[in-house]
Amino acid sequence: MMSGETVFSNRGVDATELPDYRDVALKPVVAAYLPHALLTTGGFWAVVVLIALVAPRLPFVELDLGWWPALALVPAVWFTVLSWMDARRRGWALREHDLIYRSGVIWRKTVVVPFARIQHVETASGPLERWFGLMRVKCFTAGGMMADLTVEGLDEALAQQVRQYLLEQIRDDVEPESPPAGAVTNRTEDDPDHG
Amino acid sequence: MAEAEWQRLAPLALVFLILKGSQKFVRENLFLFVGAGAGAAFLDWIGPRELLLGLLAVLLIILASAMIYHRRFRFRLEEDAVRVRRGLLVRRELRIRFGRVQNIQLGQPFYFRPFGLVRFSLETPGAAEKEVELPGIPMALAEQMRDRIAGVAEPAPDCEHLEAAADDEIVSIPAESEQLLFAVTSWRLFVHGLSSNQIWLLVGAFVYLFGTFSERALRRLSDTEMYETVSGTAASGPWLWVALVILIAAGLFILSGLLALVRFHGFRLLDRKGRVVGSGGLLDRREQTVRRTKITGLTLRQTALGRLWGAWYLMVRQTTSGANEVDYTRQGFVVPGLSREDMGLVGDLVTGWQVPESFSPISARYRQRYWLFNLLLFLPALIALSTWLGQGHFVVVLVGLALALATLLTHLRYRRWGWSLNGYQLWVRQGLLGHSLEVFEIDRVQQTQITQSPYQRRHDLASLNLVLPQGSVSIPFLPLEEAAALANQALYAAETSMMHRV
Repeated sequence: MMSGETVFSNRGVDATELPDYRDVALKPVVAAYLPHALLTTGGFWAVVVLIALVAPRLPFVELDLGWWPALALVPAVWFTVLSWMDARRRGWALREHDLIYRSGVIWRKTVVVPFARIQHVETASGPLERWFGLMRVKCFTAGGMMADLTVEGLDEALAQQVRQYLLEQIRDDVEPESPPAGAVTNRTEDDPDHG
Repeated sequence: MAEAEWQRLAPLALVFLILKGSQKFVRENLFLFVGAGAGAAFLDWIGPRELLLGLLAVLLIILASAMIYHRRFRFRLEEDAVRVRRGLLVRRELRIRFGRVQNIQLGQPFYFRPFGLVRFSLETPGAAEKEVELPGIPMALAEQMRDRIAGVAEPAPDCEHLEAAADDEIVSIPAESEQLLFAVTSWRLFVHGLSSNQIWLLVGAFVYLFGTFSERALRRLSDTEMYETVSGTAASGPWLWVALVILIAAGLFILSGLLALVRFHGFRLLDRKGRVVGSGGLLDRREQTVRRTKITGLTLRQTALGRLWGAWYLMVRQTTSGANEVDYTRQGFVVPGLSREDMGLVGDLVTGWQVPESFSPISARYRQRYWLFNLLLFLPALIALSTWLGQGHFVVVLVGLALALATLLTHLRYRRWGWSLNGYQLWVRQGLLGHSLEVFEIDRVQQTQITQSPYQRRHDLASLNLVLPQGSVSIPFLPLEEAAALANQALYAAETSMMHRV
């Protein structure tokens, strides 16, 4: 197995002295996220259960399944409970240089995105989210379609703040990119309103 | 000289556009003809004259649109960018800054060769397809554009300054400071084709064609005496069939080898003033120029068949956009025909990179977890079948063998996983029967993801997924401490690096 020494990096940084993303206390998502998660997951499964129960009873369906379709209640309850636990566990944090987001109940996932790698930021909210006063923040990085991070469970004010903060961080980081030598570029026109 | 004035494509570019249009038509309508002989039935139904008429109409449309596209196409070289105006119905105007270009491609189909024309294309990160394609411009102009674009100063603040300054002086001098990095013999190219995964595609195509046509052929044959002789010999023994299968397999392998020869004929990898240049091809000579700073990683690969021959190949990885994951028609930068001795090439491409002597393994719990999974999957089936069919039944034996095979494969897969960190240079090895080695610098990381399943949580393990500009690389079942340490190091590297985004 690996010992601590092999993880040691050539550039004079000891891995054990690096800031650890696990040391950061994550903020829980806003309280309104829980009912929203329950409603969306529960609502989806309620429709599935309803279809399972009603479809065999329609006049033109010649199929007698008895009460077996009621088994659809099992996954419905399971996933609703999971989404409840997930909403309680979900957390996020901003560090000086990156954004941390944790989600999942069975498979627990922690994603860290350095500000220096975010290409643009977007906020979005569906009708139901607006009803609960929620807003998502989407961060796009290079590396394909799977590479965007969506931070769910922020309220509108918070999401706007986070977005603003990220945009400021991105802009600061853009500065070292100098225009190509001897060339007049249109940087100044296409960057300030970027994102 | 080419400054500021709009230029047009050469007249012969029309041939290329027409061929490309026809190709596109065939590709997009292939599904009409694929699928249980529907195409053949369709042909029988409409009759030959209508078919001919239809094809003629299609050809006319392709011809007309290619002509309009060709007529409207304009391009212009500016100080630090190239501008293209094109479009059939919708006019499009593109402007690509040289600094953004990550890959310059020159292609010369055989019918362009006598006229000294080439196809010139540029790729930028984040673009879904080749952003600029100039199909058919004079070779001299293309080479001039290539050298200007490849030689432009890098808009990044790191150590590129020196190189960029040096480049400015050299740009006007014609390319002469070339250094051969790697050349490949025809035999090794043939072997690359033999071991390439395209063999499975060929097998698939053959089986499909055989399936649809043998039926029709047999139906026609059945009226004649030929059928009697064929079925007579078929009955005479299974050896004939075995021989036939071997013959077909050999034919497909040779075809695959020849295809590789045609695609990569005379492949050479050069260093031209610090740029990496790969060129080769028989019918379509292609040349790709990549700036070293735009290389985000390398992949060394050996297929299962390639192990028999000791054949490796290398892929130069660059930033992809989402759409590239879907678009398989895009050919990457492949260096074919490597052998074990050529591994030093990695260091020639990116200074300081070298294949590590040894790799750290992942946790043995990876193997245990999948062995357990296999057992839970197969054992109930095995018990149920053996009580039902009796122990010696061949189905039971088959399931038993499948379990043994799954166990072995799990072990092989586990053994292949490995990683090695040297400075910022991270190598990740994986594979089953073949090998795949990825190398990149951890400061290119876009995101780190650490995932734990309940089983992993119980044993303090985690899976690490690093999102890179060229896609994701993951290492499963690391001890949590190692995974976290790697993630922390990658984040630190990314956050302290001065490199701009992509």
